[in-house]
Amino acid sequence: MLLAFDWTQLAQQIVIGLASGGVWATLAVALVLIYRSTGVVNFAQGEMAMFSTFIAWSLVHHGLSYWAAFFLTVAISFVGGVAVERVVIRPVESAPVLTVVIVTLGLFFLVNGAARWIWTPEVRSLPNAFSTRPIDVAGVAFSIQDLGNIGVSLAAVGLLWVFFRFTKLGLASRAAAVNPEASRLLGVRVSWMLALGWGLAAGMGGVSGMLTAPALASFDQNLMQPVLLYAFAGAVLGGIDSPLGAVVGTMLLGVLVNLVGTYVDWVGTELRLPVALAVILGVLLVRPAGLFGRVSVRRV
Amino acid sequence: MRQRALGSVLWLFIAGLALVAYAFAPRLVSDFHSRDLAHAGVFFIAIIGLNLLTGYTGQISLGHGALMAIGGYTTAALVVHEHWRDVWTIPLAGLAAGIVGFLIGIPALRLSGLYLALATFALAVAMPSLLKKFSGLTGGGQGLRLLESAPEQVTGISGTVTILGHSMTQNHFLYYLTWAIGLVGFLIAWLIVRGPLGRVFRAVRDSEIAAASAGINLAGYKTLAFALSGVYAGVAGALLAIQDEIVNPLTFTFLLSILILVGTVVGGLGSLPGMVLGAFFVQYLPDLSTRLSSAPGVPDFVYGAAIIVVMILLPSGAGGLLRRLARPLTTRLYTRP
Amino acid sequence: MARKLHVFLGAVVALGLAAVASGAGTPGVTSSEVLIGGTTPLSGPASAYQSVARGAAAYFKYVNAKGGVNKRKIKYLYKDDAYDPAKTSEKTRELVQQDKVFAIFNSLGTEQNQATRAYLNAIKVPQLFVASGATTWGKDSKTYPWTIGYQPNYQAEGTIYGRYVAKTSPKARIGVLYQNDDYGKDLLKGLVNGLRSKAKLIVSKQNYDVNDADVQSQIARLKAARVNTLMLFATPKFAIQSYVYAHKLGWKPTVYVNAVSSAANIMGLSTVGTSKKQTNGSLSIVFLKDPTDPHWTKDPGVKLYRSIMKRYKGGNPNDVYAVYGMSAAHTFVQALKKAGKNPTRAGIMKAANNLSIKNDPFLLPGMTVKTGAGDHFPLDQAKLERYVNGHWVVFGGLFRVR
Repeated sequence: MLLAFDWTQLAQQIVIGLASGGVWATLAVALVLIYRSTGVVNFAQGEMAMFSTFIAWSLVHHGLSYWAAFFLTVAISFVGGVAVERVVIRPVESAPVLTVVIVTLGLFFLVNGAARWIWTPEVRSLPNAFSTRPIDVAGVAFSIQDLGNIGVSLAAVGLLWVFFRFTKLGLASRAAAVNPEASRLLGVRVSWMLALGWGLAAGMGGVSGMLTAPALASFDQNLMQPVLLYAFAGAVLGGIDSPLGAVVGTMLLGVLVNLVGTYVDWVGTELRLPVALAVILGVLLVRPAGLFGRVSVRRV
Repeated sequence: MRQRALGSVLWLFIAGLALVAYAFAPRLVSDFHSRDLAHAGVFFIAIIGLNLLTGYTGQISLGHGALMAIGGYTTAALVVHEHWRDVWTIPLAGLAAGIVGFLIGIPALRLSGLYLALATFALAVAMPSLLKKFSGLTGGGQGLRLLESAPEQVTGISGTVTILGHSMTQNHFLYYLTWAIGLVGFLIAWLIVRGPLGRVFRAVRDSEIAAASAGINLAGYKTLAFALSGVYAGVAGALLAIQDEIVNPLTFTFLLSILILVGTVVGGLGSLPGMVLGAFFVQYLPDLSTRLSSAPGVPDFVYGAAIIVVMILLPSGAGGLLRRLARPLTTRLYTRP
Repeated sequence: MARKLHVFLGAVVALGLAAVASGAGTPGVTSSEVLIGGTTPLSGPASAYQSVARGAAAYFKYVNAKGGVNKRKIKYLYKDDAYDPAKTSEKTRELVQQDKVFAIFNSLGTEQNQATRAYLNAIKVPQLFVASGATTWGKDSKTYPWTIGYQPNYQAEGTIYGRYVAKTSPKARIGVLYQNDDYGKDLLKGLVNGLRSKAKLIVSKQNYDVNDADVQSQIARLKAARVNTLMLFATPKFAIQSYVYAHKLGWKPTVYVNAVSSAANIMGLSTVGTSKKQTNGSLSIVFLKDPTDPHWTKDPGVKLYRSIMKRYKGGNPNDVYAVYGMSAAHTFVQALKKAGKNPTRAGIMKAANNLSIKNDPFLLPGMTVKTGAGDHFPLDQAKLERYVNGHWVVFGGLFRVR
């Protein structure tokens, strides 16, 4: 019985799940960054990442090498994120949370429309950052690209951790998120900390787009829409205020979706995502703060 | 005493104006345009429901499109499979969606804020897939087509509808039907909000801890709010199915849930008068954007920009604006001279 | 069910809707203009298909610049339905009741056109040259005489692949990746029909939803089933992914890629993402001249296409969907000419059901746009093609694809 079971297929589906999750992970980290700084989920995060991907494409199209375009795009995205925060979010900083959510929804349409307007809606591709040559280990295939995506996500989380923990700016940013009034009293420019958060998130989103486009083999203006859902779910599973949780959460979600789709027949393709989401909700009911999230105790 | 009487007179006057507008609006626009107005009415009803849940009880829901789907498909299934008359399915559609709303409310008890958002978001995203899966009932990816499968059950199939001896075009009929239900729904919501139930809802919204300490059964009232808003969404979905004469998974995507939420917030959370404006906003803005330019991406860009600008200028939505405008009027009425 | 509708509506049409259907003048037709309309996804995830409408619009402008048809200019209104059949229903009613168009033309999508078919047939408004590959547009013309399709249908395409595999590789292990909607299911059904007794050669069927992020998992399952002949009944995004993921798994099956995803620029993206070897030997069918195929660079039809696209701003000239749109518009113009100096709705429907167009510059040489009694499929021919060293090479003769 054990021998008849296709272990290779199982291992392959797990590996693919980890690889897919690794692709979504950077977008999940971006969502976490916004949530930590502004307290909302930025529904436009995926579209902003998509916009960055198009910028990268234009740069490569004009002759830059992939890595030059990569870093330039991250820088441009950072500036763009700061600009978006200053122009669009700042006016509603003190408004109810739902108002800010609606603004991010407005951004969703606006950024998508802008990308469609500036670059025509045809299918394009971005060069691979890493090699896609198959590597076979005991019948299970993967590639450097898969490892590279996961590696970049973890490296980004590591860099953020160092930034928030060991730099003055990072400390100020954390303080502003946790207790704005007290931070202001201590001289922290709270408003600019928000802008910093958005800039970092946008930069992270740019990384996400530039990894996702080659991983999904082609891209157009709809690139990030399915990814946003996975990133959101994975981030919540991992704990919405933990970047490492976001990476782990999305990778677990990737494995879960693949295993459900492969081994639970009646689920089929249509329901594999809803079933995975149901599992996440189950986890949340038991552990509301997510796997790595901080459990906050409310004192009455 | 006098102030109260004056206040009541003001409200009666506004109500009267509304009724007159309702009765005569179709005469001011083309026949086909009545259908557009009817469509706005569908949003109006769904928005009222969401406002009761989110604006007054503080429970966020990104899944109202899914509840509309329940209502719409109930209507379509009853007409196509059981040959019910289309309009008589509306109460049942509302009930079905209300039940589903209630069921959603139960796990929502343990989740709040962000997690409730994810849960309802997941439902909205999953709904088209669920609809496709149970294709025996829902027609799968093809959906259900009332006109094709049960034409005799579609009101106004011949182009005219006769009620109590008075004859009107199908478009006018849809308008009158939808907005009649809308106005009744508005009245009911107004009574709820004004009454003790509304006070409990607001208490839950403002501080769950305080409400619980005051002895309010949080679980009961939260699920009640979900169920109520579900009924409204279901009725809205049913009317949508009747107007368009089809239901299809592609109609009830996450985008619909977003539209309802945008309409509610633009209309003004926790305020009923702005709801009409919210409904018109989501009904007419996409069309206006397309009219400006149909180059790829421009309508979406304009639409998104409009939403952002409205939210920046009116963070509390149209309702907030109306309240600010009405304040001088009401303060003068309620303050001693 | 449908017959019931037919009988019922026959009785009903005599009542209030007569005003819309006939009347003193034909709606949409004046002495200087013919107004037609349709729906197309200008926004939303399917918005890439809008080039079908834009290509057609450019062609009408070209015809108008040369004087139009019988001294009338053709005005073509296309409205956004965001691929939502409920919106299609609304916008189509708007075109008929508010804009008072002569006919509905070139509306895109299977479910989208199905949503309006009963209504249009009830009020006798022609639903011309539906942009969808479903079989029903030609098959159900007795129930819906006012509706006619255009492109070769998906089921027929699948049948060609099935017959070809059964004939040339009777021991193949076939795997299918299909989109879980009518388009994918029709292709699959056709494949099974074409294989006939060899249908058991299909060892694995995997589907995906258009909202999925990637199909890596499905490709892995197909490889695990030891498939050596892969049918890609998928839209471009997922077809490209299939090639790339197969490459990443070190798997190189023989690929049949459906016509929707076999345009040269799409195949180019698939090759760039993998290797020349991965896409070499792929098979497909074709009925349009692909503007990105170097084979047609000097072809007068393609040159005409490019000049029209440039002059009348039809959009991206490398988009084969625009070629499709132009071909459909060309056919409409012929039908309108045939409908005579005073076209009526019945007249153009009759013309559409009796087509014999041999000179469409955008279709493969030798193809005829033909309809008649018993044949309600305007385009039902195609050629097989094989991808060799980076471009498509047509082989064999013109198939009848019904």
